[in-house]
Amino acid sequence: MKPFDFVQPTTTDAALAALAEHSPNVRILCGGTDYVVELKHGEQSPGVVVDISRLEDLKSIELTDAGLRIGAGVTHTEIMAHPLIAEHAPAMIEAAHTVGAVQTRNLGTLGGNLVTCVPSMDSGPVLLALDAQVTILGPKGSRQMDLSEFFVGVRKTALEPDELLLDVIIPTENLGKPAGFIKFGLRKGQALALVNAASAFRVEDGKFKDVRIALGAVAPVVMRASKAEAVLEGQAVSQDLIDEAAKIAVGEAKPIDDFRASKEYRNSLIEVGTRRTLQAALEAANG
Amino acid sequence: MTDVTLTVNGEERTASVPPETTLLKMLREDLNLTGAKLGCDVGDCGACTVLVDGIAVNACLMLAGQADGKKIETIEGLSTLEEYHPIQKAFEEVAALQCGFCGPGMIMSTKALIDQGEDLSKQEIKDALSGNLCRCTGYTKIIDGVIDAYEDITGKKVPETNPREAQSAA
Repeated sequence: MKPFDFVQPTTTDAALAALAEHSPNVRILCGGTDYVVELKHGEQSPGVVVDISRLEDLKSIELTDAGLRIGAGVTHTEIMAHPLIAEHAPAMIEAAHTVGAVQTRNLGTLGGNLVTCVPSMDSGPVLLALDAQVTILGPKGSRQMDLSEFFVGVRKTALEPDELLLDVIIPTENLGKPAGFIKFGLRKGQALALVNAASAFRVEDGKFKDVRIALGAVAPVVMRASKAEAVLEGQAVSQDLIDEAAKIAVGEAKPIDDFRASKEYRNSLIEVGTRRTLQAALEAANG
Repeated sequence: MTDVTLTVNGEERTASVPPETTLLKMLREDLNLTGAKLGCDVGDCGACTVLVDGIAVNACLMLAGQADGKKIETIEGLSTLEEYHPIQKAFEEVAALQCGFCGPGMIMSTKALIDQGEDLSKQEIKDALSGNLCRCTGYTKIIDGVIDAYEDITGKKVPETNPREAQSAA
């Protein structure tokens, strides 16, 4: 690793002050499962590294007026074990369980997974399917945005160098919304997603309502398959429609061809993943 | 330089290290605790697994400064000169290890798992060790060792099949 200065604030105010002081030659470190590896391979010193792993504001999971608030510094292991997540957004537990392996889930955080913004992130699809919002803190105060706007490109988010991600909020109206998640990897542990997917919808009067289908590892950022969603929205629940939506979703994605999987294989995984997550959501809806 | 104070295996240890020092490097080079191994150095292999405040982590992915003030357990803390830790005994009895390079990480992951106090199935044991790679054994003997250690330490039994699988089959 190239030498850098290390700052370890214990309050968000102190963290923001450190970011403001050293911006743009400053980077944030939390769980380190991705960034420490980047530091090891980096040709240039980041200047100053601000360790936010001791900020208590980032560590809580709680119900607020806005919804279920999950601090950006919550680890994947903590998500898997938390009763509020189990009650209100159980698909997040499935997604968290597919991240890395025990040691990386113990270190890696929800915020880190989102901020790193790789196409294959495992936290993205479920959160996108539940219309999650994020809170960003910066020198001018806090701002909120939809998670879909937060993702800008490969390893690129809406965060400025002097800002940090505070939390993720699943809006109240989506707590307990039936949802399903699936990840396809080359093996169970320590695998990057070839394709991952999440679906969520309600069933009202026998019809699909508020359908969300989110796909990962098939485009520069985690994306919604809105045409596939439209196939289902407002229609009577049927397996045939689920099958059709899954086929439509394939046409919306632009998966890459690489050493992990061919484009054709990923396309077939998109169809299977969309179908299975829609079915899982339907099972959850039927209780 | 960053002053880092750790409680390692119950003993307070301090070193002044450059900020870019990983916990693994500090343990191995500043504190001469070479049990945790440098394998892949990117968090894939688990050879560097140590417990930080009771939780298994890749010591190669944590900066020493991030561990400041925390309680660290390494393989050196498990046995005494007279006696192996029950996990080490179980691994020895089933010949769980061949070259042994992955051993300290495997054993520390096993300790973190058993310390949680949960009832374990074979599938859960495999899941808990999926961050520890072994290139010699094919894992079968290691899993046997973990099962024996768990049963010895807790007095519980690992069910022959995963109860959930049995349920879905029925």
